[in-house]
Amino acid sequence: MKKGKIVAMLLAGGQGTRLKELTKNLAKPAVPFGGKYRIIDFALSNAANSGIEDIGVLTQYKPFILNSHIGIGSAWDYDRNVGGLRILQPFMSEKGGRWYKGTANAIYENMNFIDELDPEYVLILSGDHIYKMNYIDLLEAHQQKDADVTLAVLTVPWEDTVRFGIINVDEDNKIVEFEEKPKKAKSNLASMGIYMFNWPTLREYLVKDNEDKNSDNDFGKNVLPLMLRDNKKMYTWEFKGYWKDVGTVKSYWEANMDLLNPDNTLNLYDRDWRIYTRTRNLPPQYIHKSSKVVNSMINEGCYIEGTVEKSVLFGDVIVEKGAVVKNSVVLSNSVIKRDAKVYNAVVMEGVIVESGKEIGMENGNKIYMVTNDKVVAE
Amino acid sequence: MVRSLGIISTANIENNFGVLCKHRPVYMLPYGGRYRLIDFSLSNMVNHGIRTVAVYTGEKIRSTMDHLGDGKPWDLNRRINGLYIVPPITQGYTISRYGDIPQFYSTLEFIEYSKEKVILINEPNIIAKVDLDDAMEHFLETDADITLFYKKIHDPLGNYINCEKMSISEDGDMINIGLNLGTEIDFNMYLRMGYIKKDVFIKLVKESIEKGDADYIQEAIIKNRHKYKINSYEFKGHVENIRNLKTYYDANMNLLKRSISNAVFQENGVVLTKTKDEPSTIYTESAQVQNSLIANGCIIEGKVENSVIFRGVRVAKNAIVRNSIIMQKSEILENASVVNSIIDKQVIITEGIRIAGTRSIPYVVEKNQIIGRD
Repeated sequence: MKKGKIVAMLLAGGQGTRLKELTKNLAKPAVPFGGKYRIIDFALSNAANSGIEDIGVLTQYKPFILNSHIGIGSAWDYDRNVGGLRILQPFMSEKGGRWYKGTANAIYENMNFIDELDPEYVLILSGDHIYKMNYIDLLEAHQQKDADVTLAVLTVPWEDTVRFGIINVDEDNKIVEFEEKPKKAKSNLASMGIYMFNWPTLREYLVKDNEDKNSDNDFGKNVLPLMLRDNKKMYTWEFKGYWKDVGTVKSYWEANMDLLNPDNTLNLYDRDWRIYTRTRNLPPQYIHKSSKVVNSMINEGCYIEGTVEKSVLFGDVIVEKGAVVKNSVVLSNSVIKRDAKVYNAVVMEGVIVESGKEIGMENGNKIYMVTNDKVVAE
Repeated sequence: MVRSLGIISTANIENNFGVLCKHRPVYMLPYGGRYRLIDFSLSNMVNHGIRTVAVYTGEKIRSTMDHLGDGKPWDLNRRINGLYIVPPITQGYTISRYGDIPQFYSTLEFIEYSKEKVILINEPNIIAKVDLDDAMEHFLETDADITLFYKKIHDPLGNYINCEKMSISEDGDMINIGLNLGTEIDFNMYLRMGYIKKDVFIKLVKESIEKGDADYIQEAIIKNRHKYKINSYEFKGHVENIRNLKTYYDANMNLLKRSISNAVFQENGVVLTKTKDEPSTIYTESAQVQNSLIANGCIIEGKVENSVIFRGVRVAKNAIVRNSIIMQKSEILENASVVNSIIDKQVIITEGIRIAGTRSIPYVVEKNQIIGRD
């Protein structure tokens, strides 16, 4: 690897409307995942583990929980003397202030921040995805091709191409065409929303894009196609490994269930690539004599007297005697009271499932979203 | 509110713990799945507003340094005050190598310059989550020079023989501290914890050094008990007095009772410790777990009963762990069985090996061992 300073810009303004109750009070990157994490922990930990020392986190939508989760970034060792993590909120200037319009506009508005750090490379990340990636591998590919931008791509099943930004490449992995959610895709390489740019080139195109009044100021839709029209050197780098965009309640539930699969490739137990998060200082979990716990992931502070099968329990969850939790995700501080049954559900934070209540069906296809005042089938 | 300066010093009882204390002081013993004994003292102080803590480490200092670091988990990494780790001085102007008084004397400037006017002394091998604000109120109201904490113990079975017994007068003054020989079923156990006015503390240290008549601060307090107003404060909560292998084992097993784990983990604030960033614990299809306390980062495929399992432990398929304490990152491989045992950190019990102790004398496996057939 050649030397060269990288600044990572992590887009964490995602609203995640299709996640419904999960994003009622917080941005999508702050949604709890995998027993003790929030989705953004994956991108932040990847950046930290890749040795990236400067990172800007762009927040916008309901940022309070996200901001307090990130703090000054100490959980990811970003509380540094030089560099470190900065939260970049939309701000006012003498020309007025406004919300970030699109992904590219969010970076455009923070050009001063990047200029001050004076990097050679800017890495654009999204806080919406669950994956483990060494960004230095992407940088090396970028340097090898002497590219202007290198996009991390993923091979997706052909039937899913309609949901993604699809990229067509030549035999040298040089990008020849972008297709946004095509009905008939020519390739099944999907963009992951992870871009390694040369900063001077990116800067030039951000300015150009901003001058175009008709632009949505979006990387995928506007900036990258504009660069392609100008014959910039654009390459792909293929990522192989677990990657999930939890867009819906169902896919959220599935992604949590993936963790229970012994063959899952995310492997949270890898000590060489830890996923870090803010700690809650809870005591260990207690598994009672009358309980049955199999095929499940359970976090600190839980107290289990009932049956837990094929489920993911977050911190401080209580499952009382005779209660059954099966095929479910239960977020922090919830209580499943005596003899209550919860099947195929996502139970929100702090929900109390009353004694004897039954939620969901043991052999159904539907996923049930459980809050304190309602149960909604998805 | 009067803030006190917390002083943690070590009970020199390492010999009672065999290989468990070969490389660590007693206060660094792992406890309750994810803690060290010192975490309970530090957390209780911090949760009661103490902002300056000095830890007199004793000689086995490496694990202490690694665990405490700059005090961040306890919010003691302050610009002003915070955590002071004091390694021992074993030469120079200290008259005697033994006892805590020479150590206090060697850092007397630090104690003199600190803004706090009251010192809280304690030794972390006794876990007692004393409400320090309430105790402080008592200390100030009674205008005592020294207030020592005790717990009323009802001990028909003689479990507390050789613990320190405090004689207390009717109006609550401390008369003396001796050893409980089991002649009475009810006695007052001294918790090796208490408030001392700072100027009294300094005077006691200086006088003891000058006269050479006391090595330990406790000794100095008792010797000078007629000179100062020394009274007592009753702690009514749960106490674990960890003073040998058996009491260490029992104190861990006690946590399987909910009332005790609530008292130890929840009352008077959370217990803080160094985080290890472990993911949640996973229980596979073949896991059978009953009545156990399990920390994060474990992979449980086998059978676990009546046990305390620390962070990052693996119990493989068909392995059995019963009535045992398994410390951090140890692995119990297929078909192995561990009964009535204490397995120190990073031990591997290989396939098919059986180890067992008894509940009164648990079998102990030293740190970093691989136990297999020859």
